[in-house]
Amino acid sequence: MEPVIVTKNLNLYYGHFQALKDVCLSIGERRVTSIIGPSGCGKSTLLRVFNRMNDLVEGAGVTGEVLLDGEDIYRPETDLLRLRKKVGMVFQRPNPFPISVFENIVFGLRIHHLYRRNKEMLHGIAQESLEAVLLWDELKDKLGRLATHLSLEQQQRLCIARLLAVKPEVLLMDEPCSALDPLSTGRIEELMQELKKNYTIVIVTHNMQQAGRVSDETGFMLLGELVEFGPTERIFTAPGDKRTEEYITGRWG
Amino acid sequence: MKRLKEFIVEWAVKASGIVSIVLVALIFFFLLKEGIFLFKTQGAGGFLAGRNWYPISEPPGFGILPLVLGSLLVTFGAALISIPLSVASAVYIAEIAPGWLKEVLKSTIELLAAIPSVVLGFIGMMTVVPWIRSTFHVPTGLTAFAGSVVLAFMAMPTMISIAEDALHSVPRMYKEGAYALGATHWQTIRRVILPAASSGIVAAMMLGIGRVVGETMAVMMVTGNAASMPKGILYPVRTLTATIAAEMGEAVQGSDHYFALFAIGIVLFVMTFMVNMAADLFLHRRRG
Repeated sequence: MEPVIVTKNLNLYYGHFQALKDVCLSIGERRVTSIIGPSGCGKSTLLRVFNRMNDLVEGAGVTGEVLLDGEDIYRPETDLLRLRKKVGMVFQRPNPFPISVFENIVFGLRIHHLYRRNKEMLHGIAQESLEAVLLWDELKDKLGRLATHLSLEQQQRLCIARLLAVKPEVLLMDEPCSALDPLSTGRIEELMQELKKNYTIVIVTHNMQQAGRVSDETGFMLLGELVEFGPTERIFTAPGDKRTEEYITGRWG
Repeated sequence: MKRLKEFIVEWAVKASGIVSIVLVALIFFFLLKEGIFLFKTQGAGGFLAGRNWYPISEPPGFGILPLVLGSLLVTFGAALISIPLSVASAVYIAEIAPGWLKEVLKSTIELLAAIPSVVLGFIGMMTVVPWIRSTFHVPTGLTAFAGSVVLAFMAMPTMISIAEDALHSVPRMYKEGAYALGATHWQTIRRVILPAASSGIVAAMMLGIGRVVGETMAVMMVTGNAASMPKGILYPVRTLTATIAAEMGEAVQGSDHYFALFAIGIVLFVMTFMVNMAADLFLHRRRG
């Protein structure tokens, strides 16, 4: 199986602080890969390497290679806008823009000029994207409503739909359920299983049960190091590293 | 003991609230009472739509249409100049300028807001007025346009700093969301940050315009004070405010002239009230 994302000896510095240390991993296509670890271990930072959101942080520097479909995304000639279209991101707090539901979904199409002033096409993609996140039936009559007035779960689904509209390959999810109640969390997890059929998903989570439920591969991070990476089942039943074992058995963290 | 303290504080707060409302009501009532006398001798139509303001001729003319148009012309011109400039400056300060420059600009602009209007009027008289005269080859630079320019510069510091606050308080997560979708900096500003801050920006603009409508001193110094029907932006005009300020001292108390000036006050009050109402309506429509 061809990996979608590969990192080789990835180091990331915020000024003098080293946030990622020599991370080597490869993420398979159309699989869910979860990254777990205690707060501040660098798991969100690692996720933000894949769409280069760390570029927004002043003083952030990267060494090593990060390959997406075989191409190093940290080459100077990388087209950042295309990269971020290809690698979408869902945030911890749902962040739909304070505009209508419809405009949120077609936002990506508009900024990437993927439509030719064709209203029907826009509408079609909006419907497709909302259907993909199982929101169409709830929202088809409320497309003009302000997105920030939806429930948190709906907002998070809308944020996912907003990504799907531009047809990404990879979905990065940064603790996508931490602002949601258990029922909503369950439904978002189901959605991830559905999305897995078409997209490669990388999820950062605090919640080990969630990693166990949703992911095929799991990586455990500690103090900027990727301690262990492998099939989720093995990581949770027979961890190879003592630190992983201590973390997943809840001895700390 | 504690309850007594609570009681006193609660009442003190309540009383100050009531006092300020009563004071405003009294001012309005006084204005109305003095102004209404004019309509015993003058029709409201002749007052509002009359084209001649000759308060001390015989017979006197109390038509304020030239003054209303003068005010509107100056205000409209000032809005046209100041709104685009201040939105652009606010966007620059909030989103584009590097950290150190941001601080410098913000404090400089706050400093500009503190310049007394008479000083601005004086500067306008010395710079804007001659500039207009020589650039547009008009007999005098004391024109509606000069008033618009001076008032625009007067309103801008307030407009910029309030609009900048609104832009600055747009949550970071919106920006991140837009960047993560591959938006450029400009697309993020135009499609996410400006809409998110729009109610605050509109409020800032309205506050600025409210100030322009009510401003007296600077506008009196540079607009030429000709109480005739304005022929254009490059002709002298006179505003409602300037009329009151210039004539109140010489109007005989209890005369029609005196009451007419109070009636102008009512018109001015209605105008600023409408600007504020518009701002309010817009704010609520956005939230609703």
